[in-house]
Amino acid sequence: MTFDFVEPVVFALLAIGVIAGGAAVVLLSRITAGALLMAFTFLCMAGMFVLLGAETIAAFQVLIYVGAITVLILYGVMFTKFGDRPRALFFQRQTPLAVVFVAAVAIPVALFSFSFTSAPPRPGGGDLPALATSVFTDFAFPFEIASVLLLAAMVGAIVLTGRDDPEEAALRRRR
Amino acid sequence: MTVPLGAYVAVSAVLFFIGCAGVLVRRNAVVILMCVELMLNAANLALVAFSRKYGSIDERGSVFVVFVFVIAAAEVAVGLAIILSAYRNRPVVDVDQIHQMKG
Repeated sequence: MTFDFVEPVVFALLAIGVIAGGAAVVLLSRITAGALLMAFTFLCMAGMFVLLGAETIAAFQVLIYVGAITVLILYGVMFTKFGDRPRALFFQRQTPLAVVFVAAVAIPVALFSFSFTSAPPRPGGGDLPALATSVFTDFAFPFEIASVLLLAAMVGAIVLTGRDDPEEAALRRRR
Repeated sequence: MTVPLGAYVAVSAVLFFIGCAGVLVRRNAVVILMCVELMLNAANLALVAFSRKYGSIDERGSVFVVFVFVIAAAEVAVGLAIILSAYRNRPVVDVDQIHQMKG
């Protein structure tokens, strides 16, 4: 008995999870539930990366997307109040037009994407050696630029959200 | 029997267009940010799938995924900061009501 059927079955389950989670993010009216379903979508995506043999990327995905970005989004949901509104006000007025446009582009692209065929599989082994070699040789300079970008984003986020209210600063100094 | 490359690319395309529809359709700015994250993640799936299954010798595609992670983290941090500072000016997150810069 072989276990060849396991990989397609796992792939089908993960694909259903990814697409249902993504659709729920768009369609659900409750934002907290949407954010948690987004985390679920990211987890299913990490499973797909494992299925593709890219374990390092899967680990990054869990750490950065499921960990950091979901928590940031949840903080954003917490700080902004989006009260209960009638159902019609969740979606923009141009919704039918936008759906028609997106479907008109999406269906040909999705059908076309099935035409890619995979190369014969290479000998196994994780993706970490190849990834590390590329990052620290050919892509060393972009890697440093990326760290500068993260620093700039951090400083920018602090500057954008920091209050410069003089009264409040005085109050804080007195405390 | 392994899963063909086309199936991964198709899932990636479907998720990308779900995110695209969400950006076009929803009103809440935080949900729009979430949909942008979905689109970035769909692009990641396509990059990893092509890198692992399209017969390249070195796996350069995975390196781009790392950079996409960096960009996504920076984007969500700055995007939420902009939403919060706009929210502090006027407590709305409906993108239709944030029109103070309209000429």
